[in-house]
Amino acid sequence: MIECPSCGAKHRPGTLFCSECGVYLLTGGPLRTEPLPESELPATRADPWQSGLEPSPSGDLAAEITLAIVAPSGRQLALPTDGEAVLGRLDATRGVFPNIDLTPEGGLEGGVSRRHARIHKQRAQFFIEDLGSANGTFLNGQRLTPYLPHPLHDGDEVQLGRVKVQLSLTKSTKQQASE
Amino acid sequence: MNDSSTDLYAQLKLSANATPEEIRHAYRQLARQYHPDAQTAPGTTLLFRQIQDAYDLLSDPVRRAAYDRQQAEAGLSPDALFHWNMQLSRSILPKLDDEQIVYVLLDIAAGQTNMSIERLPLNLCLVLDRSTSMQGARLDQTKAAAQRMIDGLIGEDTLGIVTFSDRAEVVWPSQAMTDPIRTKAKVSAIQASGGTEILQGLNTGLAELEKHRRERSINHLILLTDGQTYGDEEQCINTAIDAKKRRIGISALGIGEDWNDTLLDAIATRSGGVSQYIASTNEIQHFLRERLQDLGATYSENLLLTIKATEGTLLQSAFTLLPYIQRIELEKDTLVLGALELNKPITALLEFVIGPHIVGTHRVAQLELSGDIPAQNRLGERLRQDLSFTISADSDLNTVVPPNILSSLAKITIFRMQEGAWQALDKGDIVGATNRLETMATRLLDLGEHDLARAALLEAGRLSRNGNTSAAGRKTIKYGTRSLAMPLVKEIIL
Repeated sequence: MIECPSCGAKHRPGTLFCSECGVYLLTGGPLRTEPLPESELPATRADPWQSGLEPSPSGDLAAEITLAIVAPSGRQLALPTDGEAVLGRLDATRGVFPNIDLTPEGGLEGGVSRRHARIHKQRAQFFIEDLGSANGTFLNGQRLTPYLPHPLHDGDEVQLGRVKVQLSLTKSTKQQASE
Repeated sequence: MNDSSTDLYAQLKLSANATPEEIRHAYRQLARQYHPDAQTAPGTTLLFRQIQDAYDLLSDPVRRAAYDRQQAEAGLSPDALFHWNMQLSRSILPKLDDEQIVYVLLDIAAGQTNMSIERLPLNLCLVLDRSTSMQGARLDQTKAAAQRMIDGLIGEDTLGIVTFSDRAEVVWPSQAMTDPIRTKAKVSAIQASGGTEILQGLNTGLAELEKHRRERSINHLILLTDGQTYGDEEQCINTAIDAKKRRIGISALGIGEDWNDTLLDAIATRSGGVSQYIASTNEIQHFLRERLQDLGATYSENLLLTIKATEGTLLQSAFTLLPYIQRIELEKDTLVLGALELNKPITALLEFVIGPHIVGTHRVAQLELSGDIPAQNRLGERLRQDLSFTISADSDLNTVVPPNILSSLAKITIFRMQEGAWQALDKGDIVGATNRLETMATRLLDLGEHDLARAALLEAGRLSRNGNTSAAGRKTIKYGTRSLAMPLVKEIIL
């Protein structure tokens, strides 16, 4: 017998979906996000008042700003040109295709949700927003309030579930502004 | 050993008319690719053996001819009367002491795609509810839809019109459309009053259909109602079963919220027709026009799937996905699939429980598809396919479930969850029903079905607050989840 990870109902081997709660059962292929034990995740919460719009540091709106995301494997994760991306775990059967798929970075074991977090750019500032993920998004070790965008800075560490990615921001202006 | 359901040509990436030279060439290439010495991935050895077996058979002219003949019998050749395709969630199973589940996705389509199929004359009867509740827009739209239908009939088509309230009257006796203006005038004169006695309407309608029932005609009763019938539900269902025996299908269209969906669904499935929820009176014309089109495109009727399972194998459940999601009633070992239209395949998902087996290949069931093709005077045409599995001693099988089985099953699971919610509610388990509706909403959101998810949450909220659901919400959820597998959401032309 196999057990539904979500509601504990028992099913015969080979069953694909739980008849009780409708979740996809662990039989290979795309899998459901497991809740991680609280002890494995940072306990502090980010100040929600820190969220939202923040005046651009030097006010140089003309500055061209780029964000590089480096995965634990050292792989650089490409951001779409408009600076907006959903980070998560690809699940073709559910039609979830995040811009940045963290499956190869241990996303499943690391508790990354299919649609975990969103990065977007507003003026010359990048923001990150948790999309109500199962295991939370952490910015420099602090859990973000879901759906509140927080500004990102150079050298920030973002943690999705257990998966940590390193951010680096590069500004290129006409006068080569100091970073 | 290979069974009839495996396409050996496909295994060698060839078409059925490949020359011996092409077969040899394809084999050499694949054998090199999958040779156990060259590959270490799990499952390769088995794949290599399958390629080897396929080549052994196809390279022998005598065995190849026998195989081709067997494929034709199974309905797998291009000129077969039906095309059907079977896909398994897994074809190689680990050896277990436990029972295991295997899903089979079955696509059934009209065969002989290279031939033009003649449209048979339609022998129709409209059975219209004219009870007091139909007064106003409902009856007006119904009358308008009936009049449009009169214009849609051609050639030898016949139409009868029956109305019912406390009793049934023949408004227009069944006949060919020689005087459409007079027929329409009769329809215009229909007045609303009285109760809803569906059985009376059905019986009178069936008697009208009987007048022009022929071997080569599509006989169909279309019932339109907005209310509940009291005390004659069981007789209505028996009448529907009886109608099917006389090759008469019944389609049941329910308008508004107050009709009995369980009864209308049963009437439709038992007779091989369809049921439909019409939420807004504006949709009556659309659905009636669509029904007329589909009936005109009937290819096969009385389509049955018989499953003869070996000891230790059990068909646990069966659902159609297309034309819409519905539990298929099992009559002994036969599944009633109804009518098959040209260009509208039927898709069904079967859930099998497989008992413990020893290592090797086992034929666990025979599937037999039978149906009438009235346009060609062919009754009871049959096709057979075997269902086989390989039990492997290797417990670490790296099998990948075909994505279309997964997506089909995801939708059927949601449909079953709403079934479960109503069952729980009928038993008085309000908490259970609420939970099911809520988890169902989450699954619907996963699929991007936001409107249906909202409807489910709304009913869950109503349940936890008042302990009951709304009739409209219940029908929206039931008929909405039923349509989840449809490729496109049909735009309703108002």
